[in-house]
Amino acid sequence: MKRKEAIEAIFSVIGNSDITVSTTGLISREIFTKFDSSKNIYVPGSMGLASSIGLSLALCNHERRVIVIDGDASLLMNFGSMVTIGAYKPTNLIHVVLDNGAYGSCSEEKTLSSSANFAKIAKNVCYSKAIIIYSSDHLIKTISNEDKGPIFIQVKIDLGGRRDFSRPLDLVGIKKRFMKFLLNNKEITK
Amino acid sequence: MKPINSKSKDIFNTLDKKRNVKADSLHEQLKKHGINFATGVPCGVLCHIIDNLLNDSDILHVKSNRESEAVGIAAGAYLSGKHPVIYMQNSGLFASSNDIASLLIPYSMPIFFIVTYRGCEGEDAIQHLITGGATEKLLKSFGMNFVVHVNQNINDLIDEIFCQMKRNYLPGVLLLKRGWNS
Repeated sequence: MKRKEAIEAIFSVIGNSDITVSTTGLISREIFTKFDSSKNIYVPGSMGLASSIGLSLALCNHERRVIVIDGDASLLMNFGSMVTIGAYKPTNLIHVVLDNGAYGSCSEEKTLSSSANFAKIAKNVCYSKAIIIYSSDHLIKTISNEDKGPIFIQVKIDLGGRRDFSRPLDLVGIKKRFMKFLLNNKEITK
Repeated sequence: MKPINSKSKDIFNTLDKKRNVKADSLHEQLKKHGINFATGVPCGVLCHIIDNLLNDSDILHVKSNRESEAVGIAAGAYLSGKHPVIYMQNSGLFASSNDIASLLIPYSMPIFFIVTYRGCEGEDAIQHLITGGATEKLLKSFGMNFVVHVNQNINDLIDEIFCQMKRNYLPGVLLLKRGWNS
């Protein structure tokens, strides 16, 4: 599976009330270019923090699903976050890791992910479900299932793909529209 | 290194679980400013503050393993309309400095920090001296709001920081030295 296919699969099953947090580099840039919406938060700097932001978004917004789109290098950079997620167990959190085994947004230098079984680790730190996925059909099916989280999905993807995406620059604008989406809808549901 | 008085040293050499009037008053002041979410990494100097945050059912408290993680957790809470406080030692301020600079500041998230000021006058631990000497310079270079508690009324300092945060949408830091609550 290519990064493009994994991202398209995820966004084909994002529901109206779901929100997403995506990690640094090409993952956020591809999502911003193709699927930008008020339901997205991008983490262009502070590499590794997408899962931490997603954790508290999930704990503060029980009525929504929060989908974190992480990478293997950014997961490794904030690895303790998996323990925190497993401890607080937000049932509405889906933690997707697009694993190409490399710092894909740099020059594809290899990470140390190949010797680690992330899904096994996720189970051992108390995620409700952890799975390794190789096809976009399987990814679509897994996110479509309304299983109780936190769910950990390690998606094996190939290196390579388009690199000429635009960058999210108006972060204040992105924040404002995201908060407006969250808070307005919260008032309505109350 | 200058020697420190024995009372200050006792903070680390004994486990003080008693309530503290100044910490209780600070807690009320935080609540007055709407604080309803807490995260951070503990420091002995802040034990009474952390205890109050942990024992307040109006405050959603999420523990974190590292200060960077705390910055991310607080950011998600802020985006959800919560009013978070992050607690840490200034060593952690350096550890999480890129996260403050590349997440909180460009996203304009005025998040309140309570940070222990180690490595200033009277320090007895060598590992704090370099970060101690650079703490205020770091905050200044980031353009952040901060106040150092010396002997002012802490509640007034908190008011001042919140006022600045409302004005410029930048994070704000209250620096507390050892013995701040004695």
